[in-house]
Amino acid sequence: MIAARSAIIRLGIGAVSPFAVVVGCYLLFAGHNNPGGGFAAGLVFGAVFALRTIAGLHRPAHGIAWVAVGALLVAAVSVLPLLWRDVLLDQYVLAAELPLLGAVKAGTSLIFDLGVAAIVIGVVLAVLDGLGATELATDQTPPARRSVPE
Amino acid sequence: MILGLLLLHLAVCGLLAASGRRLGRRGLLVGAVPPAVTAIWSATRLGTSAPQTAEVTWVKGLDLGLTFRVDAFGDVMTLIVSGIGALVFVYAHGYFSPEAAGTGRFATTLLAFSTAMLGLVWSDSVWSLFIFWELTSVTSFLLIGHKSAEGTALAAARRTLMITGGGGLVLLAGLLLVARAADTTLISQMLPAHGASAVAGAVLVMVGAATKSAQTPFHVWLPGAMVAPTPVSAYLHSATMVKAGVVLVAVLGPALGHLATWQTLGLAFGIASLLWGAGGALRHRDAKLILAWGTVSQLGMLITLFSAGTPKATLAALALLVAHALFKGALFLVVGEVDVRAGTRNVDELGGLARSMPGAFWTAVLAGLSMAGAPPLLGFVAKEAAIEAALALNGPERWAIGAGVIAGSVLTVAYTVRLLVKLFGPGPRTEPARRRTATAAPAALLAAAGVAGYAALGPLLGVLKSAAGRLAGGAEMPTLYRWPGLTAALGISLAVLAAGLLVGLLVTRRQVRVPAPRGARWSDQCLEATLAFAKAVTGRVQHGSLPVYLVTMTAAAALATIPFLGSVGVGHLFAWDTPLQAILAATVVGAALGAAAVGTRLGAGLALGAAGITISAIFVIAGAPDLVLTQLLVETVIVVGFVLAFGRLSRRFPPVGLRWRSVRLGVAGVGGAAVVVGLLAASHNPAGAPPIAEMVSGSVGEGGGKNVVNVILTDMRALDTLGEVVVLAVVAVGILALARAPADSGSPAP
Repeated sequence: MIAARSAIIRLGIGAVSPFAVVVGCYLLFAGHNNPGGGFAAGLVFGAVFALRTIAGLHRPAHGIAWVAVGALLVAAVSVLPLLWRDVLLDQYVLAAELPLLGAVKAGTSLIFDLGVAAIVIGVVLAVLDGLGATELATDQTPPARRSVPE
Repeated sequence: MILGLLLLHLAVCGLLAASGRRLGRRGLLVGAVPPAVTAIWSATRLGTSAPQTAEVTWVKGLDLGLTFRVDAFGDVMTLIVSGIGALVFVYAHGYFSPEAAGTGRFATTLLAFSTAMLGLVWSDSVWSLFIFWELTSVTSFLLIGHKSAEGTALAAARRTLMITGGGGLVLLAGLLLVARAADTTLISQMLPAHGASAVAGAVLVMVGAATKSAQTPFHVWLPGAMVAPTPVSAYLHSATMVKAGVVLVAVLGPALGHLATWQTLGLAFGIASLLWGAGGALRHRDAKLILAWGTVSQLGMLITLFSAGTPKATLAALALLVAHALFKGALFLVVGEVDVRAGTRNVDELGGLARSMPGAFWTAVLAGLSMAGAPPLLGFVAKEAAIEAALALNGPERWAIGAGVIAGSVLTVAYTVRLLVKLFGPGPRTEPARRRTATAAPAALLAAAGVAGYAALGPLLGVLKSAAGRLAGGAEMPTLYRWPGLTAALGISLAVLAAGLLVGLLVTRRQVRVPAPRGARWSDQCLEATLAFAKAVTGRVQHGSLPVYLVTMTAAAALATIPFLGSVGVGHLFAWDTPLQAILAATVVGAALGAAAVGTRLGAGLALGAAGITISAIFVIAGAPDLVLTQLLVETVIVVGFVLAFGRLSRRFPPVGLRWRSVRLGVAGVGGAAVVVGLLAASHNPAGAPPIAEMVSGSVGEGGGKNVVNVILTDMRALDTLGEVVVLAVVAVGILALARAPADSGSPAP
């Protein structure tokens, strides 16, 4: 509906979303040393999905798939250390010298963060789907106003 | 070896599950291999006194794990479980026709049961005992419901699961109490336990055992379970699973046998089942039901003897345990063969099978005479020992047990005579179909074992004595006699045989009315009433009104802060760090009041957004960039959500009546006050200094990151985060399920 009414919103959201995705990725990786992290990154990605849904650029779907992938990642990182007789959720840190990037340090907590982000995205998608966002966003006529009883 | 055998069972189980469809009926022969191997292993162990143990530790500090211990008694039970198991597998290969559907699934489930039953008799720790106990209930449920197209089979399976599974829960409570009273979870190390928790535990354990061993009044599931294929009835519901309760009473005897409650309860269950079951067996016409009621009666006898607990009674019970597994298994197999070949199990429609099925006839006669307690068979030795044990008691128990055992034995002889005469004696002639070797041979073997047990009583006695010694705490063991000489017990025994023969012939002549399965109906009605009650409660509680849910939750949360009212203090409060905080706080309050006062939905949404964003400004002043970031992002997504939701809702809030408005105002006020109370109480009573310094140093060192907040989230307190994301995932699933539920369903989904 909004997409039908406002080209500014549609084009604006379309133009901004790649940048927002970059910001989200930055938050995901920066989280270990600076503000950010999996939850924040997931929210940024979720906001991108939500805005694009409003603008009619995207149909929210597969929320459960995102949740499932995220849960699998998180569960794997949590349980795998047990196989090596370590504690549940113990994390490993890898440090390496890479071309172009210089000294890079990443831990298994990055995978954990990725899983958290995927779950947050999945929840946002599920909420959008549950609210019937697709019909609302792509419907050309505004839906009939109806009052909801208490 | 113990673990190896269990793994062999599991591996073959997996193989059958994977290729059961392709193997079909041959899967049953494959399934016979693990029990056969186990039976040979236990046969080689018979008579050796050293117990074998095995252990798999899971959590050491909690004594959690699987602990197995096979001693002399375990060997006897293993031989029964696996030996009869192997025979039943072979028998089932002949019982099912080659075209029968689902034989692969049947073989898998039957082997799974066999594994669980072995685990049960080998378990030494109460934890493993309970787990395998419930596994046998579950596999029994699956096997009874094997013909899943039949409503009666499903009802019977459900009834069984409810009674035996529920009994398992009672048992768990009992085992916990007993383990606490005895101060160990290992059954073999339990010493006589005392105290209130031992008594309570004994009652619960005995009730659990009674549900599994079909003791009156919990026996109602056993007759219904006869809808299962006959191999299941022979294996689970006469020879092994129903013995689980008896085994439990036996192995806990050393720990609980001295308690008067244990003994009284056991004798009450046992004697009631002994008589009630035998009475039932005299009245039914379905040959399998006659045997099932007979099983109830025999199990009652076993529980009675084990509860009595003297060395004589224990030895008699063991002999009866072995004899019963042999003769009842053989009789079930014969009845199954008759069913397959003659097409009916109704004894009124059968007759004259002695000539047309001579093999089955002689098998049934041998097994039946053993059941009746006639010489020269193992059943005679056991019955003789039981009467002898009852006579050797003192006081009122002597009369109660003696009368129960003698009356039960008379009835047992009577129903055996009735069954044999009706099946094989004169009556309507039925032409049986072709003979199947696989069904005849196992039954004949079991019946012949009864004769062999009598002939080779010497070696058998040695085995039984060492098993009974383990159960009776190493007391001096009496002996069993092939022929006791002219004793009072022999006189009683012969009188019992004569009286039973007379009663049996009289009953055979008379047409008796088959009793209605009242107990089964009552238990089904109980279950249905429970379900109806649950549905009514759900309908009342889950009314579907969102505002009422919200009010209920807020009020409940507010009530939870009442205990903290006493620890509220205000001495530590100060106005602000910077005056800017006061301005921001005032803005938040204003926005919140605005959200409550404004009449349009869009206005309320904007006011809420204002409150949220102002709070993030407060975080900025506090120097918490992570919180600021998260708060802003959450507010953003929420605003987008509002925009979408408003498309579906009216522009203004619906009008609210004065009463409902005052309720909401009141609950909101109480909720706000509760938050204030909680915060004041918490900040007034700090539990030590905040662990900031450790967190910071730990973060850089262990976590490898400079952002303490995130290292806490993903490393130090990662378990909390894990729990939170699981909650998020569940919420996502819930939202989708709600959104996709049919909108018109007025009642909650079942």
